[in-house]
Amino acid sequence: MKLTRTKAFKTFADPAWYDNPINMQMLGICSALAVTVQLKTAFVMTLAMTFVVSMSGLIISLMRRIIPGNIRIIVELAVIASLVILADEFLKAYFYDISKLLSVFVGLIITNCIILGRAEGFALSNPPHLALIDGLGNGVGYGSVLLSVAFIRELFGSGSIFGFSVIPESAYAAGYEDMGIMMLAPAAFIIIGLMAWVQKYLANSRKS
Amino acid sequence: MSDTAKSILFALGMCIVCGLLLTAAATGLQKRQEQNRITDRQKNILYTVDLISRDKQYSPEQIVEISENNIRKYQVTPSGKIVSPEEAGGKQTLPIYVYVDKDQIRAYIIPIESQGLWGKIYGYMALEADGSTIAGFTVYQHSETPGLGGEIDKRWFQENFEGKKIVDQNGNFVAIQVAKGDVEKQVPEEKKSHYVDGISGATLTGKYLSQGIEKTLSRYEPVSLCFRKNRLRCRLQETEPAQDEK
Repeated sequence: MKLTRTKAFKTFADPAWYDNPINMQMLGICSALAVTVQLKTAFVMTLAMTFVVSMSGLIISLMRRIIPGNIRIIVELAVIASLVILADEFLKAYFYDISKLLSVFVGLIITNCIILGRAEGFALSNPPHLALIDGLGNGVGYGSVLLSVAFIRELFGSGSIFGFSVIPESAYAAGYEDMGIMMLAPAAFIIIGLMAWVQKYLANSRKS
Repeated sequence: MSDTAKSILFALGMCIVCGLLLTAAATGLQKRQEQNRITDRQKNILYTVDLISRDKQYSPEQIVEISENNIRKYQVTPSGKIVSPEEAGGKQTLPIYVYVDKDQIRAYIIPIESQGLWGKIYGYMALEADGSTIAGFTVYQHSETPGLGGEIDKRWFQENFEGKKIVDQNGNFVAIQVAKGDVEKQVPEEKKSHYVDGISGATLTGKYLSQGIEKTLSRYEPVSLCFRKNRLRCRLQETEPAQDEK
């Protein structure tokens, strides 16, 4: 059997591309606007989010037979919230500057609809290894959009990539200016909108 | 066992497991986090007098070294006299940080503690040795709304303060205010040097911060007055720096 035909691959690729949480499902937009001014913050956010969504998927899937149905949402939230606090504490201890830049947005991963959606819609009804892969796929799907948006915003907004200046001084001397709008939230809206358009166009042309 | 009892038991179990896990993580990482906070505060002191650049990365050791070489910490009485820790006894004193370069006082830095919209705002303000010009301002801890009041921890807002005056032409203390909007458009010409650009959508944060800064500056006014008049007892070189934590 080819790798691309396995259930595991499909579980990974679906959220990573075909059913991308941001571009296709329009989830998690809030954090995608807030943390994409710089690649550095977008990258750390991606790691934190991937950690939380895959681990919560795994843990909830492991417990799926013993979670009482009437309190399942609370249990899911408790698992997610604990993981987010763990990630936040870890960032504060080892990446203090970045955790200051991200301010409340790490904590707000708890309310990111992608995570609860995956826990409720996938982890509760699938075996642990698939739930973990699904989480990773969603993390990658979310992260790839975040990083692409951050790349464009940082390049055009501050003329740098991961904090290193890439636009030569001579360009500035010749009259080039950084685009102020890239530093503001509306820029992320515009970029995500364009990306969603392109991706939906590609997805549709494949089908027909 | 009934379903309800099962649910309650499960919930209890979850609470205990999550609680234990988080407590372990919080206590285990606490020391490192505390160290980070101390380094961050030191960094902010250095930012106010441009001893380190915000664009570069520094190791904690470098930060400690730079601040030990350039910054001295003193305690002053509310009347503006420098006292050693023993002299101060139980009396209330105000901390001040002095930036000394080649035995010359360049600036003095005072800690700012202000009310904010949602919580306290903590920062530092550096004043030049003339006792009236602001050399720098930073905020290192606050709980304002990100994107609105939270902009106070951004560079554009903080650099706004540099070069502003806390006294008017006649030498009277007027503190510094956050304007509603742009200083250029909102403030009459003669008052421009006492106002900084405000943050749109964060009028209240600006108002509280103005009040907080004014309160702190007026507490430190005797010290600033010393610097302004250049009185002898303000010559900090004559006293030994306090030996407590920097």
